[in-house]
Amino acid sequence: MSNLFDRVKKHPYYVAYLKDAWPYITGAVLLSVFQIVTLAVTGNPWGVSAVFANWGAWLFKLAGGVVDKWYYFAGEGTPGSIALLERGVLQDPGTWRNVGIIVGALFATLIASGFKFKKIKSWRQVAAAVLGGLLMGYGARIGFGCNIGAFYSGIASLSLSGWVFGAFLFVGAVIGSKLLVKYFM
Amino acid sequence: MSDTPTAAPGGGTGGSIRRSLRSTPSKRRKKKNQIPMGLAVLAFIVIGIVLLAGGSPLLAFFWLTGNVFGFVLQKTRFCFTAAMRDPYLTGGTSLAKAVLVALAVTSIGFVAIKYGAHAQGLPIPGQSFVVPVSLATVAGGTMFGIGMVISGGCASGTLMRVGEGFGMQMLSLFFFVVGSFWGARDFGWWTLHFIARGKAIFLPDIFGWLGAIVVQLAVIACLWIAADKWAKHKSAAEHQ
Amino acid sequence: MAEVELDCMGEACPIPLVKAQKKIEELAVDDILIVHIDHSCAMKNLPEWAREAGHNVEIEEIDDGEWDVIIEKVK
Repeated sequence: MSNLFDRVKKHPYYVAYLKDAWPYITGAVLLSVFQIVTLAVTGNPWGVSAVFANWGAWLFKLAGGVVDKWYYFAGEGTPGSIALLERGVLQDPGTWRNVGIIVGALFATLIASGFKFKKIKSWRQVAAAVLGGLLMGYGARIGFGCNIGAFYSGIASLSLSGWVFGAFLFVGAVIGSKLLVKYFM
Repeated sequence: MSDTPTAAPGGGTGGSIRRSLRSTPSKRRKKKNQIPMGLAVLAFIVIGIVLLAGGSPLLAFFWLTGNVFGFVLQKTRFCFTAAMRDPYLTGGTSLAKAVLVALAVTSIGFVAIKYGAHAQGLPIPGQSFVVPVSLATVAGGTMFGIGMVISGGCASGTLMRVGEGFGMQMLSLFFFVVGSFWGARDFGWWTLHFIARGKAIFLPDIFGWLGAIVVQLAVIACLWIAADKWAKHKSAAEHQ
Repeated sequence: MAEVELDCMGEACPIPLVKAQKKIEELAVDDILIVHIDHSCAMKNLPEWAREAGHNVEIEEIDDGEWDVIIEKVK
């Protein structure tokens, strides 16, 4: 059996299509196709970060907290909704999609025989991950989304907000790069 | 289909670059063939689709498309963070250009769907993503930009890298959740002071449907040309 | 024809590329820079940069998820 898999691993079709990386433009086109499919089927474009606020709320609930008085979760035109929280994490479509992204990437890595667990190397990386994560989470909520929801989907939805968010993503990226080189390298 | 050459697995240097022997054979460990594990994960994905579809086709759809997005992102090494960061940090613009292509193609699909709904008198899908522009947009974009560069991944990129086994992004994801929750908590404050005073601007309301897509594509085209010129400029500067 | 090794194992996203760009300036023409990486982004952006800059590049897979990017400085 292992012989079969080893032979597959050397096969030119496997190498070209499953092992080697695909071009960026291919990615651009495929992501676009599925964005369009998503809008057509679900009535909304792709979004990633709103789900994280829900995960936070569910974790908070586990610790005994309540969010029903929060404006964010009021639910009439606000990004979050108590009703969704009450249905639970297993009924949250966004959760399934986000976990899907993780598993899909895992599948891609394994099928190319390229998976390796990469441990955190230094306290600098810890600091970068903590600070970076917090900034992204907070920024995404007040900006109504992340690189996908606010920027990619926002612009594609012909909303000016997408462009403004994008311009400042770039500003932030420059600032972040300077910080990266100075403190996190 | 690939633009990066790889040496044959398990093979020798075989290429044109002459290297001293010492740096090659000692490194070669027996590689595990992970294809079987990959197939096991694929089975898990398919089972997930089937099981979910029984209860709710919508959940199955989200699971399926999530996996597709994750697969495509990893396979193409697509990275929004790098698209924004590399022009400044390394002079590279290939990802920026790819992101511009994605914006263009998706915009065309979206405007078609939206216009179709409008023309038939139906509610336009996805309008909840047309949000007010305010200082919160500025602050949010800047914060997110800084965060994604220092943590080494944006929202989709972090999820992708969790799937690839990066411990750092797993930590980043946890704090992304914390930060999101914190942001949700403060959202009321931002709404009161800034967002409520902002206006949501849907481009077709200003330029008309055709005008909006034309203007948008034109802006994207200009940015594409700028990215192209920037990379050439940076490349030339390196070889002085 | 010197051979310089640059260990970037465990480094986060742009760092292997930034370090390689700095290191290659210290090398003479015909020198070889070997970058050890385990980051999939670097597996694409390092060769892409090196080729754009006109150098010869080869990638060798050492283990699952680990690569050596071999860059021969041409100019």
